[in-house]
Amino acid sequence: MADQLAIGSRRGLRPALPLLLPAYLWLTVAIFLPLSAMVFFSFMTDLPLAGKDWAFTLGNYAAFFSQSLYSTLLFASLRLGLEVTLWCVVIGYPAAYVLAKVLKGRSREAIFLLVILPFWSNGLVRIFSWAMVLREGGILDTALNAVLPFKINIDLMYSYPAVIIGLVHSYVPYMVLTCYLTLQAIDDSLIEAGRSLGASRRQVLWRVIIPLSMPGLIAGSALIFVPVVGSFMEPRILGGRTGTFYGTVIEDQFVAVFNWPLGAALSFILLAVVLIILALAAPVLRRAG
Amino acid sequence: MATTRILEGLGRFYIVLLLGFLYLPIIIMAAMSFNASPFYQLPFEWTTDWYASLWQNDQLIAATWNSIEIAVITTLISTVLGSMASLALYRYEFRGKKFLQALLFPPIAIPWLITGTAMLIFFFGVGIGRGLIAILLGHVALALPYVIVVVSARLQTFAPELEEAARSLGANQWQVTMRVTLPWILPGVIAGGLFAFAVSFDQFVVSYFLSTPGQTTLPVEIYAAIRKGFTPEINAVSTIIIVVSMALMLLTARFFKFGGEK
Amino acid sequence: MRMPRLTAFLTATAVFVSAFTLAAQAAEEVHVLNWKGYGADEPWAVANFEKATGFKVVNDFFNSEQEMLTKIRTNPGLYDVVMINAAFNDQAMAGKLIQPIDVSKLSNYADIAKDKAGSPMLNHDGKVYGVPWVWGLTALAINEKSFDKPPTSIAEMWDPAHKGRVIIRDDAVEAVQFGALASGQNINDIKDMEAVKAKLTSLMPQIKTFWSSENDWNQMVASNQIDIGTYWSGSADRAKTHFKLPVSLVIPQEGSVAWLDAFSIPAGSKNVAGAEAFINYMIDPKFYVEWVTKVGAPVSANTKAVDALPEDAFNRKVMGSPDVAKRIQFQAPVTDEQREKYLALWQELKVNVK
Repeated sequence: MADQLAIGSRRGLRPALPLLLPAYLWLTVAIFLPLSAMVFFSFMTDLPLAGKDWAFTLGNYAAFFSQSLYSTLLFASLRLGLEVTLWCVVIGYPAAYVLAKVLKGRSREAIFLLVILPFWSNGLVRIFSWAMVLREGGILDTALNAVLPFKINIDLMYSYPAVIIGLVHSYVPYMVLTCYLTLQAIDDSLIEAGRSLGASRRQVLWRVIIPLSMPGLIAGSALIFVPVVGSFMEPRILGGRTGTFYGTVIEDQFVAVFNWPLGAALSFILLAVVLIILALAAPVLRRAG
Repeated sequence: MATTRILEGLGRFYIVLLLGFLYLPIIIMAAMSFNASPFYQLPFEWTTDWYASLWQNDQLIAATWNSIEIAVITTLISTVLGSMASLALYRYEFRGKKFLQALLFPPIAIPWLITGTAMLIFFFGVGIGRGLIAILLGHVALALPYVIVVVSARLQTFAPELEEAARSLGANQWQVTMRVTLPWILPGVIAGGLFAFAVSFDQFVVSYFLSTPGQTTLPVEIYAAIRKGFTPEINAVSTIIIVVSMALMLLTARFFKFGGEK
Repeated sequence: MRMPRLTAFLTATAVFVSAFTLAAQAAEEVHVLNWKGYGADEPWAVANFEKATGFKVVNDFFNSEQEMLTKIRTNPGLYDVVMINAAFNDQAMAGKLIQPIDVSKLSNYADIAKDKAGSPMLNHDGKVYGVPWVWGLTALAINEKSFDKPPTSIAEMWDPAHKGRVIIRDDAVEAVQFGALASGQNINDIKDMEAVKAKLTSLMPQIKTFWSSENDWNQMVASNQIDIGTYWSGSADRAKTHFKLPVSLVIPQEGSVAWLDAFSIPAGSKNVAGAEAFINYMIDPKFYVEWVTKVGAPVSANTKAVDALPEDAFNRKVMGSPDVAKRIQFQAPVTDEQREKYLALWQELKVNVK
């Protein structure tokens, strides 16, 4: 009977509260309350600072729809987010699989940590280093020309591919980490059972391994897609004159013209779009899994 | 069997390739800290001047210590609070759970620039002001969603029957959590901690808004430095950090297993 | 070197302690808000000033004028001295962010060029809200390796020979004013925005990337990736004399945008005497000569300071020549509406190249 009660008590908010409260209180104080102030600002004509006149308006949100500039950029940013996420899956998932299932013992731990380490280095320094690699006469250019018999000119710097490379480099450890967590939890005997029942490697992969590791793939994709859509530093530096994205426009509103209301409205539109995409994508991905 | 071995060999080779990609900029960063030109000019000219001048740069060193402190504390707090919250979200069913889960995304989705500005205004309004405490408050909040998402991903692979079995054997809630659940999700908790550390240690925008003169972090110093001339001292300090953390990590891996080996 | 104070942080009381230490600021400190690496934070200068006056200097920095305004708005009473571009002085004064300065306390004030000291941008209702410090140009700079002889016209930027090797700053106001110069207009009264837009549109394919800090420019030249671009006069001088890069400044015949930087005292400053002493030191010829020699700097607003430079110094010979004076246009305040209009145009141009 006691067991039944224990399972019964897993419903309801009350028993969950002591575990939930500290984290959500912290989030409320440090993020949700400040952001609500921003929501408030996004409906204002001007900031209530220094005795300026202000009134309520929907104009900041209307601006998004009245100027094609913003939707063009939002699409560009969403595409960027999607591409970076896909590359991270393509590059990161196999690596996570090898880490979880092929490597054993201490070498696994060591390599796992080595994969994580680069994202402890400073983002700006990393971007500058990429600039050295990608530019004309840079390291990639020089190295390829030293090896290849014919002369090629490689100048990837200040282009869309440079932005992709820089972002994938920054975010691929996220994917390796989250996928590793779920792949490592799959029991090897399950894979062996599948194989001994006559399933091909490919079938085992698609029917057993990928479905079971889906939570990691989803978590990793969300953690990559979401910040990449709003990124502004990497596009600005690596993208050069083609590096204008939704995030850089928001940054301009805050930094260059001090129009916080418009900047805030633009970022809440971004948030809404991102949440809708996540809400639509999650069930589809889960069903696929 | 032969195919298996070939595939495994390919897998290892692939990991080497990936590490090459990940470490390419890091190696360049380290190399440039020994190059004489302050503008990364080639040809390469060996010098250790940047390390010597780094040693004199009290401001940069102080900021580095601040960053390490804040990152360590952020990691501790957010890992504990985040793991607790993920457990609750995993274990219990209640109304509004989906909403609570959705709430994790605004801190990640809204560009840090806006979050940072919002924090600055709000902290100022309620009297917390700027400084290391404010930075810490902000960093933990930014790291929490990452920890919760990562730990939850690991928890999804956990069979609830295990908890119930332990309960039926007479274990109380605390014992179940500490002896059954935690060991299983430990890789997730550690991964969450690594995330939290990275989010805090490389966090620039929010720290930037919340720092005061004398109470800054390394990324803020680095960003301010590029206005004048980004000296390779920055590369030197980053190189030292990478080398030291690499040594610490490899030592940890040598003496401490956490991969959830079965 | 300071050791970590992990334990101190972990106590809840630390929260309160820090809140109080923030409020209790020592009176003999002078808190200065300026660009980083812009004279006021030179270690030797700070040391000299502290030795001479006994005040302690605490530097804080901003990365854009808007950020500077935000910092004084959100930290009343924290700063004692703030460096404000004259074109923003109006806005700061209207927002009651700065207070009038008693110039009789500044012994060097009398030596400031009359046209700068009397600038309507710094004087309101007979009171002085800003003490002119240095001025300079946003002109062109070239990579000496790419030119046999320096160009004389802005049109050089549009020369197909430099395609993909041109750089301009990622700043809407600067870009639009540059377009105005190129289309022969007054930068402070742009009548034909279409002409500006057409000029800038045709410039876009020439551009390699946008720069935002001095370091960007210097790195691009050091790796020989650019030929020509817009640059600040003081920075070009510093790149040449201090960093020994092949950079030289060109003041094109079409003219250049000039700016004037001035010091102000924020409203609510807790150490006005210290602020006055610091500002007076900043406009002192001795400081200026040392700054130019050791680091490289824009042109001082103090005539005696400029006269103290060697006769062939760039800041005296070139910047002081009457020929240059005729070609430059000082930047007037830009209203918020104009700024937003410029940004909209600039963003549109940047999106169209995608």
